[in-house]
Amino acid sequence: MSKDKEILEGLTDKEYEHGFVTDVEQEFIPKGLNEDIIRLISAKKEEPEWMLEFRLQAFRRWQKMPVPEWAHLDIPEIDFQDIIYYAAPKRDEDRPKEIDPELEKTFDKLGIPLHERAALAGVAVDAVFDSVSVTTTFRAALAEKGIIFCSFSEAVKEHPDLVRKYLASVVPVGDNFYAALNSAVFSDGSFVYIPKGVRCPMELSSYFRINAAGTGQFERTLIVADEGSYVSYMEGCTAPMRDENQLHAAVVEIIVEKDADVKYSTVQNWYPGDAEGKGGIFNFVTKRGICKGSGSHLSWTQVETGSAITWKYPSTILKGDHSSSEFYSVAVTNNFQQADTGTKMIHIGRNTRSRIVSKGISAGRSQNSYRGLVKMLPGAYNARNFSQCDSLLIGDRCGAHTFPYIENANKTAVVEHEATTSKISEDQLFYCNQRGIGPEEAVGLIVNGYAREVLSKLPMEFAVEAQKLLQVSLEGSVG
Amino acid sequence: MTEVIIVSDGLLERKIDVQAGQRTDLVLLVYPGVSCEVKMDVRLLGEGAEANLYGVYVCGGSEKVRISVEMHHDVHHCNSRQLFKGIAGGTSKVDFYGKIIVAQDAQKTEAYQENHNLLLSDEAKVDTKPQLEIYADDVKCSHGATIGSLNEEEQFYMRSRGITLEDAKVLQMISFIAPVLENIQDESERELVSTRFEDAIRKLSK
Repeated sequence: MSKDKEILEGLTDKEYEHGFVTDVEQEFIPKGLNEDIIRLISAKKEEPEWMLEFRLQAFRRWQKMPVPEWAHLDIPEIDFQDIIYYAAPKRDEDRPKEIDPELEKTFDKLGIPLHERAALAGVAVDAVFDSVSVTTTFRAALAEKGIIFCSFSEAVKEHPDLVRKYLASVVPVGDNFYAALNSAVFSDGSFVYIPKGVRCPMELSSYFRINAAGTGQFERTLIVADEGSYVSYMEGCTAPMRDENQLHAAVVEIIVEKDADVKYSTVQNWYPGDAEGKGGIFNFVTKRGICKGSGSHLSWTQVETGSAITWKYPSTILKGDHSSSEFYSVAVTNNFQQADTGTKMIHIGRNTRSRIVSKGISAGRSQNSYRGLVKMLPGAYNARNFSQCDSLLIGDRCGAHTFPYIENANKTAVVEHEATTSKISEDQLFYCNQRGIGPEEAVGLIVNGYAREVLSKLPMEFAVEAQKLLQVSLEGSVG
Repeated sequence: MTEVIIVSDGLLERKIDVQAGQRTDLVLLVYPGVSCEVKMDVRLLGEGAEANLYGVYVCGGSEKVRISVEMHHDVHHCNSRQLFKGIAGGTSKVDFYGKIIVAQDAQKTEAYQENHNLLLSDEAKVDTKPQLEIYADDVKCSHGATIGSLNEEEQFYMRSRGITLEDAKVLQMISFIAPVLENIQDESERELVSTRFEDAIRKLSK
């Protein structure tokens, strides 16, 4: 009963529920982007020389790169000199080890408790607030198994060999405009290393929160799963409601060694802007994993409900023979939101397998595109891909688009793609109405059923939240 | 009446406007040895307009075949169907691009597109980009694309009944392209085309 009530309340609550601002003392660096700013960020984070060099090199590359325009998106011009690239809550000088109670309250309010005793059973959290990681829970318990789970800044200091070995090995510095920008100015994120043969005993999770106005968030996450290991990693994010657009440009790299298994789940709930399309986050991220060794497996699951504009293509390079990957996605856009999202599956090794299931839902005046690449290289003997991309339209002023790219250069490789576009049928709605289910609730019910295949792939802790989120995102779109 | 176009080397560009209540049927044939670029731009301009586009391409050498189709649904209550099937062997390179664009007011649209390819050799390459761009909600649209090889179970079935592997492959390929050729209405023309493709396929599988 109480759950039903919660959902109903969520439906009638018109506001973006994570839209509050935390009032903490923060330190900022000056607006703008140049080599001095990058040196300043690097100095703030007390980084070694090689890290600074990496940033500067990326910055020089970025300056020469054009802004990508190929996506089916209408992106207003972004003034990169008008962004604050580093903002951090001030630490209490007298008690440098403790977390600011205001920050703790913020994460509590978001449902992310930072105390281990209160934390969700079996989930370790790395909480990132603007440009810094506030805390990482369960570190000691994980360290017993040899698992490293810490903020990226700490990893640079404490595990420089691992970071140097894997950083930019999957997403090179010059990969694309936003990846280069991130490489130059990235602030914090998570670092995960699972040693050989270890099965991570709990879900690892990062929670990203934008708080300060006028800033951008540039997180960097690196996950390394050594031979035969397993980890399930979840990512969540929210931001305050503002009339300005804020930029979020992240890079996530995942390395999956022989026989290792990584499950990466995202529930993206950045502030989407108001009903008139004002404000909201620009979410331009590069996520890529490599199935390096034979028999390795990487699974992506994403629920995209937030952001004014989403530009995101979590991809897998299937290099190891017999490696496999999946991409499950639900992307919801409402009001004036725009999303151009999908995946890339690059088959290099023999007997590699991939599966893509994408469900797009567009409502209001939003535009929702699936863009995907499936590429079979000449060595991909017996490789197999299946893609299914469905779009659901709610309302006659929105758009749903499908742009798959399929390339095959191996005669034993098989690629299949199918896509459909339709709306919720009158019959389905009538059936529900007849049984006393109101139109709005009926749409929620049908959408949940439509997205079930993807939602069922989420870890339990996320699945409930994602279902509620779907309902809230679509409220007001019927009638 | 279905129009049959035998594509020759070089560029073939066609703009087709279909008015209210009108119907256009078109079959494109690309025989082995033909390197071509086909650009079709179809606009459904009036209520009840219908367009059916079919195509087959068989490449066994070093052909380069590029086919692009843009299907514009500008008004409501129009239907379109596209079926393109092809075989790529040798060192040929096939590119297929097909886009269905449904405008905001084009409600009650039904638009379907299929592109299926057989890849016969390691040096051949097929790229396909089926796309949907849809701005109306009360529509039924779909596209499907596949790139694969001949089914070995079917071959086994035929071989266990005394058909040689070579014949089995020929039969498979003929039946693969048959759904396209079926749309040629004139019987004698259809038989002529079928025979020509059968000969070409026989040469291909040798």
